[in-house]
Amino acid sequence: MAFSLPLPAHLAAQRWKVKIRDRERLEPPHVTVLHGTKAWRLDLRRGEFMDSTPSPNEVPTELIDFVLESLPALRARWDEMYPSNPVQGDADDE
Amino acid sequence: MNDAVLIVDHEETAARRFEALNPKLLRSAEEVQVAFDENWRQALWIVPRLSGMSRLTTLRGGRRGDQRLLFLGHLEGIRREVLHANFRFVVALADGMKLLPIDELAEVLAAPHREDLFIGGALDTIDRALVLYRGNLEPLVVPLSWFSSAGGPRPDPARFEIVDSGQTVRLGEFEAASDAILYEFDVDARRRSKQKSIREDQSFGGSLRRLRKQRGLRREDFDGISAKEIARLERGEVSRPHADTLERIAKALGVRPDEVETY
Repeated sequence: MAFSLPLPAHLAAQRWKVKIRDRERLEPPHVTVLHGTKAWRLDLRRGEFMDSTPSPNEVPTELIDFVLESLPALRARWDEMYPSNPVQGDADDE
Repeated sequence: MNDAVLIVDHEETAARRFEALNPKLLRSAEEVQVAFDENWRQALWIVPRLSGMSRLTTLRGGRRGDQRLLFLGHLEGIRREVLHANFRFVVALADGMKLLPIDELAEVLAAPHREDLFIGGALDTIDRALVLYRGNLEPLVVPLSWFSSAGGPRPDPARFEIVDSGQTVRLGEFEAASDAILYEFDVDARRRSKQKSIREDQSFGGSLRRLRKQRGLRREDFDGISAKEIARLERGEVSRPHADTLERIAKALGVRPDEVETY
């Protein structure tokens, strides 16, 4: 089942979502922050945004902090969903 | 968006929902005909209800341009074929077609990258495929067999819907990212995605690594090629593989040899 990180109520009310879906582009392990038609991929290995557009500055700092605090749970969930591409990876990937 | 947005309706209520598109409201058959002639090169037409449809089915066609039509009501049979005479793409509620809620639909149509988002779709039970419609109204056919995940929930096509403002395709408990679908089935979207997100690594090795991960393969999974050799290719220590090596790599990845580099 797709994973949706439960967010603080006011962020959810503003239509922010953080998801790992059952079919994602797999490389590298990431969560997707969704807001309307925009999406930001956040690398689960490095805890950093993967793309420069749309600007990560559009994502509320509070939401970013919440996602970073939730990284251990998100990494575990990714590994459950995508065992062939674990967050730890193999040494050659880095 | 650059092309004209034309709404055919006798009142302004629906047009207001699409105000982000700066649409022109057309009420009479005469206004429709004039707008059709003026915008023959390219236009997006939105018809919220059936009463507006007769103004389009009686259009006198002229030069063939790139007219696209979104009808928010049900449209069956021959009327659809009539519309295809004048419109390059027609999206309407018919035969199990599902569309986004109207507010999200308007949001997608106004998005600068609307072609990378889905507005709706329908299940083709005979060919076991999902026909998805993009924000530019172009269709994309995806085999149902693609919607699966190791150990994940079983996709339920009967519960198909588009969610997250066109960014997710849901089949019951199963969800697929729209960008993952486009990455797999649309070479242009794949190229755009590659240019955007992997700008720093456009090498053959980068493509090989992305495609291998996308397929869920390990470096050990390539018949006749060692994991060490795959690693060297991915790291760019060998700029191009020999033709027979490329053939084997492509076979393991399920693509043509010339497609590897497009990932």
